[in-house]
Amino acid sequence: MIRPDAPLLLEIRDLHARVEDQPILKGVNLTLRAGEIHAVMGRNGSGKSTLSKVLAGHPAYTVTAGSVTYRGADLLELDPEQRARIGLFLGFQYPVEIPGVSNLEFLRVATNARRAERGEEELDTFAFEDLVRERLKVVQMDPAFLERSVNEGFSGGEKKRNEILQMALLEPLVAILDETDSGLDIDALRIVAEGVSQLAGPDNATLLITHYQRLLDLITPDYVHVMAAGRILRTGGKELALELERTGYDWVDQELANLEATSEREPVEVA
Amino acid sequence: MSTATVGDLVSQPYKHGFVTDIETEKIAKGLSEDVVRLISSKKDEPDFLLAFRLRAYRQWLQMEEPNWAALGYPVIDYQNIIYYAAPKQQEKKASLDEVDPKLLETFEKLGIPLSEQKRLSNVAVDAVFDSVSIATTYREKLAEHGVIFCSISEAVKEHPDLIEKYLGTVVPSNDNYFAALNSAVFSDGSFVFIPKGVECPMELSTYFRINSADTGQFERTLIVAEEGASVSYLEGCTAPMFDTNQLHAAVVELVVLDDASIKYSTVQNWYAGDEHGVGGIYNFVTKRGQCRGDRSRISWTQVETGSAITWKYPSCVLQGADSVGEFYSVALTNNRQQADTGTKMIHVGPRTRSTIVSKGISAGHSSNSYRGLVQIGPKAVGAKNYSQCDSMLIGDQAAANTYPYIRSQQPDAAVEHEASTCRISADQLFYLQSRGIGFEEAVSMMVSGFCRDVFNQLPMEFAAEADKLLALKLEGSVG
Amino acid sequence: MPAVALPATADWLAALAGEPLPGRRQEDWRFTDLAPLQAVAPQLWAGPDPFAHVVLPAGVTRLDGAEIQALADPILHATGSATAWPVRLNQGASPHGLALRVSGAAGPLQLQLDAGDGPGLLALQLLLVLEEGASFELLVRHASRGANATSLVTLVQLGRGARLNLGVLAAGDARASLLSHLAISQAPASELQLTTAVGGWGLSRLEPRVCQLEGAAQTRLRALQLVDGQELADTHSQVSFGGPEGELDQLHKVVADGAGRSVFNGAVRVPRQAQQTNAAQLSRSLLLSERARVDTKPELEIVADDVKCAHGATVSRLQQNELFYLQSRGIAADQASKLLLRGYCEEVLRELPAAAAACHPLQLLLPERP
Repeated sequence: MIRPDAPLLLEIRDLHARVEDQPILKGVNLTLRAGEIHAVMGRNGSGKSTLSKVLAGHPAYTVTAGSVTYRGADLLELDPEQRARIGLFLGFQYPVEIPGVSNLEFLRVATNARRAERGEEELDTFAFEDLVRERLKVVQMDPAFLERSVNEGFSGGEKKRNEILQMALLEPLVAILDETDSGLDIDALRIVAEGVSQLAGPDNATLLITHYQRLLDLITPDYVHVMAAGRILRTGGKELALELERTGYDWVDQELANLEATSEREPVEVA
Repeated sequence: MSTATVGDLVSQPYKHGFVTDIETEKIAKGLSEDVVRLISSKKDEPDFLLAFRLRAYRQWLQMEEPNWAALGYPVIDYQNIIYYAAPKQQEKKASLDEVDPKLLETFEKLGIPLSEQKRLSNVAVDAVFDSVSIATTYREKLAEHGVIFCSISEAVKEHPDLIEKYLGTVVPSNDNYFAALNSAVFSDGSFVFIPKGVECPMELSTYFRINSADTGQFERTLIVAEEGASVSYLEGCTAPMFDTNQLHAAVVELVVLDDASIKYSTVQNWYAGDEHGVGGIYNFVTKRGQCRGDRSRISWTQVETGSAITWKYPSCVLQGADSVGEFYSVALTNNRQQADTGTKMIHVGPRTRSTIVSKGISAGHSSNSYRGLVQIGPKAVGAKNYSQCDSMLIGDQAAANTYPYIRSQQPDAAVEHEASTCRISADQLFYLQSRGIGFEEAVSMMVSGFCRDVFNQLPMEFAAEADKLLALKLEGSVG
Repeated sequence: MPAVALPATADWLAALAGEPLPGRRQEDWRFTDLAPLQAVAPQLWAGPDPFAHVVLPAGVTRLDGAEIQALADPILHATGSATAWPVRLNQGASPHGLALRVSGAAGPLQLQLDAGDGPGLLALQLLLVLEEGASFELLVRHASRGANATSLVTLVQLGRGARLNLGVLAAGDARASLLSHLAISQAPASELQLTTAVGGWGLSRLEPRVCQLEGAAQTRLRALQLVDGQELADTHSQVSFGGPEGELDQLHKVVADGAGRSVFNGAVRVPRQAQQTNAAQLSRSLLLSERARVDTKPELEIVADDVKCAHGATVSRLQQNELFYLQSRGIAADQASKLLLRGYCEEVLRELPAAAAACHPLQLLLPERP
């Protein structure tokens, strides 16, 4: 839902970042307002996942230039946990297994950290169990998964559902979902997509990172961005994704070559 | 996220390092036959015990200090240790009101209130200060069930027949160098006797406190569970911070008859020395249980976080048919601490079973070794052992060593050992952080997760304490 | 073989080694009874030099005397082998030597080291230098039919990117002893496959020691020990990593029957500089008789934190569920056991260099028993 007067949530300006000595992001610009759903598409290696990790504060990535403003504050100044507490959420492409740490406890500690930030009372074990059981419905997850270690031995689909469960508990303002559709069969994909749609509302924004159309068949984006070589090459509406599906990414190479020639850095607006 | 910051987290000031200012009666430094006789006479012991001590002393003189463990420490001067120290108060008091308030205050400060009003409701405590037991709670209530729980000195006086029957039968006085030393000079410790068919109505606990700087602590614990009896016992240990090393050489003996069981838990938090390895307790302990009866069971659970040096292998001799031995251990070492710990499971009888779960966490410049022996004798038909030894390394200066011996002489037995090494990965930390969980809490969660299999074995009342202790060690400023 | 003055007394071995025989008080020899070795007549083996007529394949040349010492010392130093008793004994016994340089992709080679039925101590030394990028396959076959002892010290230097497939197939005699020490240094990107299969010796002691000088190499160790009767087989392996990203994959298998004794000690050392090491060690022992005994002890010493080190050990009979599966398909219990046992051994034997197939290692080591 596009409302030009909706509050600004996330503003990325000319963002450059590298991992080790390898520059990956080379000037990303992106603005998210409340109520919007954005999709970032692109080939492997275009910098999509790096963008999500930089936003979440992964220590392996170094920002070399540019800024990220989250609700008026400098996001890049904050530790990863602080970003999460103020409402930024990253759904991992590969959720990490943490043997020994109970999923239920992990969810409770995380939820309470977010609640404390919002000035809400921490939930005790019983109150939290009630909450988590209710939110489980969003992803149609078996409560048995709460008793297991975080993501340990979960199938690909179970891991992704666990990610969306966390999102449902943390109630983020900006949710970045990195390849949430990868490795999911059709039923799991539908459940995850329904969960995401259910959680998207007028007060929050969602950034879907994907390279397939199939997720976008289930969640309709307001904007589609095409990323290549560390920048956003093109921005359009949902029809851009359909066009990509039809024509593939070959035109991107052509456009990149033109860009190199003119040193043009601003995204090309279409439609 | 650098592992150095994880390392910083593991360092935490020792909270039990205070000294109680109390007048103490000590004998002169050094060890000789006269000193052994003096200790025995101070305790007014019967002849059999003096004979036991003297035999042990003579055996000790013939023995050499073991050097096979992966430990390095300066030569111990056994003549520079005080072998007997006791707070000056006459006799053990009949009532707690007569115990020196300073002592009560000391234990209260350590979280072990002894007074009637404050004491734990379902745990009986024997409090040992330096060489002597100062108070034992709930004695009368236990006596109603026929359970004997008292200091070993009292037991020598009140139940000499039981002491003579069982003392030194599991750990013979010449078992090893430190056991021989203990047998010669042991000062106090706890005695537990659970008669036939009795399930001990509450948890029993002994709390050991070393207070004097130059005193060795040599306590002796003996627990006997007769046919069908069962008991859960916990020991806790702390000491002040001194820049010298104190020697602690205890002996624990467990005897379990048919269908009986003993669950023995330890939360060891002796002073570990400072970050340069100055000071701290040398903890050379012999703990062994004998499953003498059929279907008997011994379970050792230990959480080892303190001591400059730990040398300790709580073991089970599984004689009775279908008897069961268990060993669950968490050992956390930091700074210059050295731990060489593990267990021996000696399968003698048929269908005996044992389980070993060992979790070692090494940080700083410490060294943490698991050393275990699983021995299947020729008569242990159908015996089974499963061992799991996991190491977690924090930083690249700490050592984790694993030495699991297996010796089998019985084809119809199955022995299985697994070991793995892990660390707290940057990916795991980031994942937790990206859900709003702070760095310290994330590390703490992962460490307790790593230890969970062992913590689950601790009695309810103490599981939380162990978790807290580990968290304490992990508390601190993030770099 | 040159004449060496030997004391006629039982301590002639100590005299050769310049050091007393290792005893049970030494941790590394705790379970190893040297009686079969001590029973060997005090003399050096009198036969011809087994290396005299070796025909070298293309790509392999002999090293000359001056080079040998200069190449041998760093290898002995890297693996800490110079002080090992079997090495000292070997050096004291004026061993016959073969020193080879391998360049490029060399052809395979097989060495027959047969102590025959004669008495005495057969001492042999083998030096292999694989140049950068060289590859080589070598099968060393030991045999004996008498009351003698074979002492072999093998020194190997693997250059950068070199690949060696080294097999030791040793079928001995209940009166015979085999002492085989292998010191191997590996440069980065080199690959070592060492497969040893030993059976039938009154006493065998294998000491493979591998040092990945700067890590980043691959080491694959496969071993099979068979003991029966009163035999004792002992493997003391040691792998150390001098740098990051080294890999070790070790499998040690044992079949202990009769009143046989099996000893396995597997040390893996991962010091601080060896980050990202990936080491796995598995020790599997089959205990088939009430009188046999298995002693196994992995030793993992790790200081680096970013490593994967796993080890496991099992000691048991043949798997009941596997037996049952075969029986449920109509195979008699006896036959099923044999099948499983052969399969168990084959897992290691099939990794020997290709030349081994011709001598039917399984029959050699596990003859059909009446």
